[in-house]
Amino acid sequence: MKKFLTVVKREYIQRVRAKMFIVSTILLPVVMSLFVLVPAIILSIETPPMRLAVVDQTGRMYSQIRQALSGDQPETEQNVNSSALRSTRPRRSFSRFIIEEVNATNQPLDQIRANLDQRMRARELDGYVILPPNFFSQGKAEFINRNPGDMFSIQVLQSAINRASREQRLIDAKVDTQTRQELSKPIELRSLKAGAPSGQQSNSNASFTVMFGVSFVMYLAILMYGQIVLGAIIEEKETRIAEILFSSVKPFTLMMGKLVGVSLVALTQLAIWGTAFGVFAVYGVGLLVSEEMRSSIPTIPFLHFVYFGLFFLLGYFIYATIYALVGSMVTTAQEGGQLAMPIILILVVSFYLFWPVSRSPDSPFSFWVSMFPFSAPVAMLVRIVTQTPPFWQIALSLLIGFSTVFVIMWLASRIYRVGMLMYGKRASIPEAIRWARQA
Amino acid sequence: MAANETTVKLDGVSKSFGEFTAVRDLSLDVRAGRVFGLLGPNGAGKTTTIRMIVNITAPDSGTILLFGRRIDASLQDRIGYLPEERGLYKKMRVADQLRFFAEIKNMRGKQVESKIDEWLARVKLSEWKNRRSMELSKGMQQKIQFITAVIHDPDLLILDEPFSGLDPVNVELLKEIVLDLKRAGKTIIFSTHQMEVAEKICDDICLLNRSQKVFEGSLREIKSSFGRNSVAVRCEGGNGVLDDPALVSKLVRHVDEAQVLLAPGADAQTLLKRLIDSGAVIGKFEMVEPSLNDIFITKVTEPA
Repeated sequence: MKKFLTVVKREYIQRVRAKMFIVSTILLPVVMSLFVLVPAIILSIETPPMRLAVVDQTGRMYSQIRQALSGDQPETEQNVNSSALRSTRPRRSFSRFIIEEVNATNQPLDQIRANLDQRMRARELDGYVILPPNFFSQGKAEFINRNPGDMFSIQVLQSAINRASREQRLIDAKVDTQTRQELSKPIELRSLKAGAPSGQQSNSNASFTVMFGVSFVMYLAILMYGQIVLGAIIEEKETRIAEILFSSVKPFTLMMGKLVGVSLVALTQLAIWGTAFGVFAVYGVGLLVSEEMRSSIPTIPFLHFVYFGLFFLLGYFIYATIYALVGSMVTTAQEGGQLAMPIILILVVSFYLFWPVSRSPDSPFSFWVSMFPFSAPVAMLVRIVTQTPPFWQIALSLLIGFSTVFVIMWLASRIYRVGMLMYGKRASIPEAIRWARQA
Repeated sequence: MAANETTVKLDGVSKSFGEFTAVRDLSLDVRAGRVFGLLGPNGAGKTTTIRMIVNITAPDSGTILLFGRRIDASLQDRIGYLPEERGLYKKMRVADQLRFFAEIKNMRGKQVESKIDEWLARVKLSEWKNRRSMELSKGMQQKIQFITAVIHDPDLLILDEPFSGLDPVNVELLKEIVLDLKRAGKTIIFSTHQMEVAEKICDDICLLNRSQKVFEGSLREIKSSFGRNSVAVRCEGGNGVLDDPALVSKLVRHVDEAQVLLAPGADAQTLLKRLIDSGAVIGKFEMVEPSLNDIFITKVTEPA
């Protein structure tokens, strides 16, 4: 046990002291926030509005289109009282338009077209729409555009004309304003947990969100630290220290020590980020985000947090040990990287189980995938936040999972030792199996 | 330090890897307070034997006793092992590194620090204490590796090719340390294929070839059992005599003299007479002990 702690201590201190650790701890949040900020900045860059002429041969559409395209939203959305946030802020549209009406009554269409084409060539105009007289019966219009690749503007325009024509048809059908608003009112769907008191209505939603976050962080941690575990396991092989160490510690002790040491580094880094994020969330975002967001978090039951923690650790360790197993078979980190690809595949597949399990958390399928150690972390978390299974199932899943961690590590240490005895040889899978059996 | 006490005892030990037998039915005694040379050509089974002694692998059959007990993990702390395949943590500072190797042998507390300083001073690397090992030259690294094997003051020290790649000054330095440790009552197993080195520091030797023991005993006994049938000759002319297979079984010409191994039944007097008769001018004619190298080569090439 003392030797185990010696290995853990060395692994932890050496890694935390390394420049890489300090740099990555600071850099990652910076990079992450850039990923959020840069797109936001790019999207907020103002592009010049599109100058659009509307040739309205029906004579009834222009004002509707104008309304639909301008910031003033049609009445339907304004009246939804729940979207308080949206109504207070000006709606940001990605395509803005400056529109003008072209008098279509006095001139023949060809003449108008020629005029407009002329203006487009002179760069006074970016495009024009022609609504033929039979627009309401045929539902067809033409959009002549200098830049037909601008899918975005085309879509905005199409939906605006759509809305405008629907409005106008309703008006034509003598539907009064009141009724029109009533008919277009969006519905609100509240999801409640069966049997839960009505006061706790947001419970499962918040849990679900947090669970999604936990799974995501787990995924990130595995991707980031899996490779580091692999490298750590190979370290003694590459530096040729393994044989010196094995005259002092058992391979299992060494590998466990290294795994735990690296994992503590991972937890340290995650804790630093978590704290930084928490502080940012409370002091920074707290000012921006509405009250309801913040008040929803405390409604998650405490026990769920315990489960989140346990299954996070299980998920992390089960995959980290697979990386360790790969590390025990190979001699260089490059080889390990190639062999690690299938691991990531298993990981991704286990994340897709999210959907079938959340749809029917009580099915036999969900039961089995939440017991199978490689899919258990995600599957069981989904079951816990949707339809919490009986406690024995949760306990059994944890037991199977953590036992698997030990079995894999034991296997890895046997392969490691035999591999070390035959210098510099990478193990094929059958060899690895044979090595695990002998020695 | 009782001279007849046995530190390591192997009895009928065999080990094979799949088809390949690395060690076959090996028995040997390593006596306390002596330097025991485990000699043999590459692939003879030296390293496998050592690994079984330090409990890295277990023998397929036979028993190994260390300090009179069956080998187990707790006995490992009394062994210092410098394997042939060795290295250091590249980015770790020398002092941290040595502390780690001491702690992993269950050595704790203040004595660790004093031992680190003491040993660094002894190998003349004190000023490198806080440098990363990747900044050290290969020779310096080798000396640090040597310290990792001795820092916890082991009763049994096992060195596998400890001097390979070192310059003569450092070889001398480490050799002195090894002899000091022997004087302090430690038992040392010294594995090498460099016979000249073994000859200078080993009290007892065991020669392995093709997984088997060829012979075992004290260096003195072995040399005398070979008898004085080796002659160092420096002469001009007389080539015909030295090439006569009835007199000379083996002839090795060095730059200015020749090493002659007498054929069985021939004696030195006859050789000298024949040389004089042939008109050779003799500068040197001296009976010498066979070198360990000669013994080694004779034994290894002998048909089983």
